Amino acid sequence: MANVTYSGVRESKPGRINDLGSTGKEVSENFKKGCLKRADRSFAQGLQCQQINSMAALMSLEDSVFISHSPQGCVGCSIMAVDMYRVGQIHRGVRNVKNPRLIVTNIDQKSVVFGGEKKLRDSVQKAVERYSPKLIFVYASCASGIIGDDIDAICADLQSEYPDQIIVPIHCEGFKSKVCASGFDAAFISINKYILKKQKVPKEEGLINLFAPTTVSYADQKEMERMISLLGAKVNYIPFYSSLEKIKKIPAAQASTSICKVFADEFMKTLEEDYDIPYSHTVMPIGIRNTDKWYRGIAKVIGKEKEVEEIIAREHERIEPLVKKIRDRLQGKRVFICGGTGRSFAAAALIDDFGMELVGLETPTYDDDAQVDIEYLNNIHKDFVVDIANMQPFEQVNLVNRLKPDAFIGVPEWAAKLGVPTTHVLDGKRPTMGYDGLLFLGNKIADQLENPGFNKKLAAHVKLPYKDSWYEENPFKYITEGGN
Amino acid sequence: MSQIMENPKGGCVLAGINSVLGAIDKVCPIYHSGPGCCMQTTAADQGQSGHKSSCFVSSVSLPSSNMLEKEVVFGGLNKLRTTIQGAVDIIDADAYFVLTGCTAGIIGDDIVSVTTEFQEKGVPVYPIETPGFAGDSNLGYETVWNTFIDQVIEKDVPKDDKLVNIFGIVPYHDPFWSGALEEIDRILSRLGLKVNTFFTKGQGIETIRKCSGAALNIIINPWLFKGPSEKFEEKFGVPSIRIPGLFVGATDTTKFVRSVAEALKLDPKLVESVIESEEHYVYNYLAQSIGVLSWKRFAVVADANNAVGFTRYLANDYSFTPVLVIVSEPIFRPEDKERIIKQIEDLEYARPPKVLFLTDQFEINKAIREEEEEITLLIGSSNEREIAIEKDIQFILGAFPMSERLIFNRTYAGYRGSLTFTEDIYDNN
Repeated sequence: MANVTYSGVRESKPGRINDLGSTGKEVSENFKKGCLKRADRSFAQGLQCQQINSMAALMSLEDSVFISHSPQGCVGCSIMAVDMYRVGQIHRGVRNVKNPRLIVTNIDQKSVVFGGEKKLRDSVQKAVERYSPKLIFVYASCASGIIGDDIDAICADLQSEYPDQIIVPIHCEGFKSKVCASGFDAAFISINKYILKKQKVPKEEGLINLFAPTTVSYADQKEMERMISLLGAKVNYIPFYSSLEKIKKIPAAQASTSICKVFADEFMKTLEEDYDIPYSHTVMPIGIRNTDKWYRGIAKVIGKEKEVEEIIAREHERIEPLVKKIRDRLQGKRVFICGGTGRSFAAAALIDDFGMELVGLETPTYDDDAQVDIEYLNNIHKDFVVDIANMQPFEQVNLVNRLKPDAFIGVPEWAAKLGVPTTHVLDGKRPTMGYDGLLFLGNKIADQLENPGFNKKLAAHVKLPYKDSWYEENPFKYITEGGN
Repeated sequence: MSQIMENPKGGCVLAGINSVLGAIDKVCPIYHSGPGCCMQTTAADQGQSGHKSSCFVSSVSLPSSNMLEKEVVFGGLNKLRTTIQGAVDIIDADAYFVLTGCTAGIIGDDIVSVTTEFQEKGVPVYPIETPGFAGDSNLGYETVWNTFIDQVIEKDVPKDDKLVNIFGIVPYHDPFWSGALEEIDRILSRLGLKVNTFFTKGQGIETIRKCSGAALNIIINPWLFKGPSEKFEEKFGVPSIRIPGLFVGATDTTKFVRSVAEALKLDPKLVESVIESEEHYVYNYLAQSIGVLSWKRFAVVADANNAVGFTRYLANDYSFTPVLVIVSEPIFRPEDKERIIKQIEDLEYARPPKVLFLTDQFEINKAIREEEEEITLLIGSSNEREIAIEKDIQFILGAFPMSERLIFNRTYAGYRGSLTFTEDIYDNN
């Protein structure tokens, strides 16, 4: 296949929109007609850059050193990955909990003028001297990109100097993309280029690549592994809490699937092209409908369609009476959802399991994949507001204040201050996924929404930073056509 | 100037600026920067400081020009202009500060030209032209105060001989900053003083504008704030005293009270009565738990301020044995290092510990791992937990960065904080 090599920047895919205020019906019709135009916001709040995702995706790998070729601030968000790594070790029964080995080159004024090559070389040298790691990842930054440090060439040169390490440069310069998931792609492109190198390896029958981002709890990992083992297959859980050996196993797999819609979705296409590994790309396994869909997806790829139906029937028999109890508590509640691509759509499907009604959905990006989900949601819910936004709390509070939902699902910080009951489907430390996770999650949601005292009292005492006049304005007034 | 660093404690100068501004009521930073800087810098300082972050705007609620390829190539001033306008239109702040990310700094966007347009319309928008790559978050604290001295604080404010300004306790870079400032405020208020902490009691930009009316600047830090304090005195005529380390416990807190009293010539009778009642309060509790804590040979890894405070309290007031103290923030001036060493080594009875200045986590771990003398208690940051587990040492999470505990108003500083510190060290094992 004569494909154009994918750059890793999600905006390079045609039809993608990152800034839009619309409704479920309108956006789906306009997408079909090809009428969605790329836009921008003349006023916006901070985004998540792709470097954050590139780093988080890999920072739990064993025997690795992570070098951020950047000023010191660009490793700020790595604390979230560091924390997940530490807590994840505790959950996995590790007693001597380790820090990830993270080195920042600390690009400074001198580097800006003379280049940062020496700092990068010295950092790699330190990494080797200190830990003699199997893998060294070198992350680009806005600063390293703009000053023109050629990290590929420097790493290639260092690779010949340190033959016992694999040195992997990753192009995750923040300014290249508005979609932070691009950072996942940048990491996987480099894994393929520098580690797997298109080399075919002997196949292992029944081995499935299960791609997991950093936000997946150990409880969720165990549930996914349980479900896949029921199909008679074995899981290669990557790259979260894995190792060079497990990464090298990727091409040996019989099939691939991912826990998150925007994690390794592009990479799984590459794996099919380069290593003949078929894959299933469906949804995040949160809620009955989505878990079934995710499960059937991977079962189909490995030819276990009949078996999966039997297991699903069994699981339904087990959990449906319990889900009904939760549904009785949540039926009819009007919900506003904000989340990343995977979790926002997963939450939207989940609330249908519980008979709740969607009134607003905030999700970071719109493309043909989102269209599939929106068409599904349009069949269930009356019209709902769609805000294509990477967070943008100012739009969110305007919408939530306007729509007055009974519940908000997402980062609770702002809706809580409006007194709206809040809950979340993201929990990297506790269960959310699969059939077992659903019960924990459902009970949490029902309990939290039934007891909104904290938010109500908080709202009486704390004010959001916005002027009263903002709540009267069109929430989408700052979205302008023809932007980046 | 910045060094290669493993597991750095804190972020870039932008992270420091954001943390300080975020601790002031109704002040809105506006980022002229790349798309991730708001999140990264908030996570770097506020996000590692006991899970408390600015309630007004922080992380993804900070206005940002989110500079992408187009702005890198063509400049981002138009984007900055509409971003400021939007912020002014919708965010109910008393002042706005435009921060410069690496991208804006490297391509050389002239942010002052844009902030001037707004100032001419009477909007309080101030430029801070210090890009992220200029240094670490400590520099951010000084950068903000230099900006205030140059652009915000008013001249010719009537003097108030009971008003004092507190400097040197860096919001979020010290996870206990709120509680420490509240304890300092409590003690000084008992002396009849009015206290500008700037970051508690809902103090805002108006307090800062009028702080030149103070009788005294009190710097509670062994090294920070040298430049700004000199500039402050030169421009507004307010003298400074430096308390060369955060005071923990009765001995050093009383010393602090006497220093302030002497500088302001406070009524000795009042001062002595306050000291007496505060010390009585502390010792009344200590007397109820004598011998309850087992004896420790301790090491400290912390910023200079807390390293001084923890070491001196445990050695002078609690008769533990200091072994090793690692000051884990980048300090460059030799005179500052000497002042810090003096505070740590000049103990009443205890033998002085070994003092090291290390910022790199590998080197910190190595120093603790290879220490020949036995250590039975380590007070450090979340980063030091690993080596504490490895060496099987009792570990107290008492320094930045701090991920495994939630901190609102807890402090180890002052009279009362020392009791909390002692409570936390108790171990029934």
